[in-house]
Amino acid sequence: MVRDGFIVTKIGVYVCHCGLNIAGVVDVEKVAEYAKNLPDVAVSRHYTYMCSEPGQRMVQDDIKTLGIDRIVIAACSPKMHEDTFRRAVSETGLNPYLTEIVNLREHVSWVHTHEPEKATEKAEGLVRMGVARVRLLEPLKNRRVKVEKSVLIVGGGIAGIQSSLDLANAGFKVYLVEKSPSIGGRMSQLDKTFPTLDCSACILTPKMVDAAKHRNIMLLTNAEVMEVKGFVGNYEVSIFKKPRYVDAKKCVGCELCTRVCPVKVPDEFNENLSEKRAISIHSAHAVPKIAMINPNYCLRLKYNKGVCAKCQNACEAMAINFEQKPEVNQVKVGAIILAVGSEVFNASKMAELGYGRFKNVISNIEFERISDASGPTGGKIVTPKDHKMLKTIVFVQCVGSRDKRFHEYCCRVGCMVTLKQAILAREKIEENVRIYVCYIDLRAFGKGYEEFYRRARDMDIDFIAGIPSEIHGSPDGSLYFDVYDKGTNKLLQITADLVVLGTGLVPNRDMGHLSALVHASRSADGFFLEAHPKLKPLESAMSGVFLAGACQGPKDIPDTVAQASGAAAKVIDLLSNGEIELEPLKAVVNKELCSGCNICGSICPFAAIEIHLEKAEEGAKYRAEVIEAMCQGCGLCCPACPSGAIKMPQFTTSQVLSQVEAALAEPLVKGGK
Amino acid sequence: MSMAKPNLEARGKVLTKLHGREMVNCFQCMKCTSGCTALKLLELKPHEIIKLVNLGFVDELPTSDIIWTCVTCLKCVERCPQKASPYHVIMALRNLAVEKEAKVPEDYLKAVSHILETGLTDTPKKIVTRKLQTVDRDSLKLPKIKPPMESFQSALMKAMEEK
Repeated sequence: MVRDGFIVTKIGVYVCHCGLNIAGVVDVEKVAEYAKNLPDVAVSRHYTYMCSEPGQRMVQDDIKTLGIDRIVIAACSPKMHEDTFRRAVSETGLNPYLTEIVNLREHVSWVHTHEPEKATEKAEGLVRMGVARVRLLEPLKNRRVKVEKSVLIVGGGIAGIQSSLDLANAGFKVYLVEKSPSIGGRMSQLDKTFPTLDCSACILTPKMVDAAKHRNIMLLTNAEVMEVKGFVGNYEVSIFKKPRYVDAKKCVGCELCTRVCPVKVPDEFNENLSEKRAISIHSAHAVPKIAMINPNYCLRLKYNKGVCAKCQNACEAMAINFEQKPEVNQVKVGAIILAVGSEVFNASKMAELGYGRFKNVISNIEFERISDASGPTGGKIVTPKDHKMLKTIVFVQCVGSRDKRFHEYCCRVGCMVTLKQAILAREKIEENVRIYVCYIDLRAFGKGYEEFYRRARDMDIDFIAGIPSEIHGSPDGSLYFDVYDKGTNKLLQITADLVVLGTGLVPNRDMGHLSALVHASRSADGFFLEAHPKLKPLESAMSGVFLAGACQGPKDIPDTVAQASGAAAKVIDLLSNGEIELEPLKAVVNKELCSGCNICGSICPFAAIEIHLEKAEEGAKYRAEVIEAMCQGCGLCCPACPSGAIKMPQFTTSQVLSQVEAALAEPLVKGGK
Repeated sequence: MSMAKPNLEARGKVLTKLHGREMVNCFQCMKCTSGCTALKLLELKPHEIIKLVNLGFVDELPTSDIIWTCVTCLKCVERCPQKASPYHVIMALRNLAVEKEAKVPEDYLKAVSHILETGLTDTPKKIVTRKLQTVDRDSLKLPKIKPPMESFQSALMKAMEEK
């Protein structure tokens, strides 16, 4: 309808109660009544749950019967239900981009719980702003773009391997990038797994081999992601492959070189409890089983081009190449799964427990290596340095976790890890050895976990409800401490030969670098933040970037595998059609107004604007051009343009200013002019 | 078996002194009691005091001797994983005891009067050196300790009256 030369719209305003989430604070009836008096509002209603089927139908019926052509939904965050209402609107044939969401829940009722009157006033103001903006919205069309049917998976632990196998089996090309020389990750360091006590290597190694052999998986070990460009469906990734100084195609993994190398190096795989050589194979189960020279220790690489070369002489396959250079691989992928896992808390930060000061205070991951048959003690449970037999072992729980000084969260695996290690110790060593577990709360929540706890109690393992304040060391290497037991109300004085600290999981140190690369945000605890804690646990806030395993939060193996398969399914959902629909939020240049000053180009964080020389009637002129594939729709360029030549659809200057004006205006009343 | 009913009013008083619940936010890990310097000799159990305050069993605490056994080593504060503070709770209870005019151990009163008179927590003492000589400030020709200024005394008195 046109009146006095202006397009007149019919606006429908719908105020949602969200049960009592909004209505408990905001007077929704008053807000709906208020909206009726705003200009061009033809209908204003309120309803218990706008997102429900009858709520959506209410909007659709009004569009059909009353000819409503602009919709304001005053409900929860647009992140929650903008898609829902756009879909409902488009089902009636109206353009979905003529819908405006006003957030009365997160922005009003949840933050102003104790001020209902002011909250209602604010809600009215926000609705007024929404109505002002919706009048100026323009119909837009989604863009369809082709997507790469390939996936980048960062991290080759059990999460990355599981996602890779699932995606590769579904026909997607997978690039699996692992920082260390072998895939397998944290799980490959473990001896047994709870609650079934199956051997970690036995269940993991076949999967590692499958991943290496799969024709759809390209394994990039000893490599790191260097750069990520592009957007969902079309990422360009640069992967930095560090040199191994060993030709991967020639090396057969015979380990002849490791026997002749004269340089001893702490073995990180064994948590530095043993030594390996400067040229070595990552672990007994390494995949790929290829030797690597550590350039920080190798005499030839570190000091002098002329010395040593013993490994080169010993290698029958002629695989050693001291001249190997780093490589940069460029790959195109449609989606990214982050599966970089976590690290174990460094217990030396908790000085009172003596980790790092006393050789017989160890972390739980070090105990795994001691207990593992391929570890530094050959699977015998003895003291780590001098391999002495034990009389008493004590496990101390919640080290670095559930502690406001370090990490407030529960590490979620510590209790079960300790139960498993106590059971392994009991099975492997003599009956008269005392095993104590000092705990705060024992959490055995998973399937079969409580039964596992009972099994530990049946095996003569003593549980002490209380943790020690400090651990003291004797010159002979034994340790002593007091611990108060809640059950007996007694201070127990314990002498131990080995104290195993139940160290928790902490965010991986690579996360900072990665989150900057792919714009994946992190939660307060430092782990990657999921898009929604309940309904979108596998997605990051960036579309096209998914999360698997302990990088999203501490996790045990069953949960990690479940999330990894889930993330793979999400990627299949995203990429299987070969194309995806994207919001039309890309900057648009008005060529008439553009003077080619390149202020927009200099400010664009995604390098999405280029200046071209264009022929026009009055001679050649410089003009800005937006590369759609690169533009992320951030809108920085729009206010920067001195001539107003570049605009962002759905967020044009007039649309935004109309909202500002409405925010500052006195509450308007129809007919009161 | 001792039976008790919580006294929420008295609990509120203690919490007001502590400016909220932060200092009693305890999950009973026993770390404070495991390491308490006063536990072995004097049976001070910081975790128990915190739990008693939490549940509202605070009537007997100000009049009990146990709150005066804390040697203020602050180990519990340093090491509490929940950043609770048995030390602050015990200090609040001591203040409450003074307000209620409950029995305060004599040594404490002595220390207070000493501070008022001399400005020091203790009297200068004679000591025996490694060479087995007995020395004091006079024999070492150290200057005499001056009594505190009157303004110090009046400020201290005023602070005590306000409490």
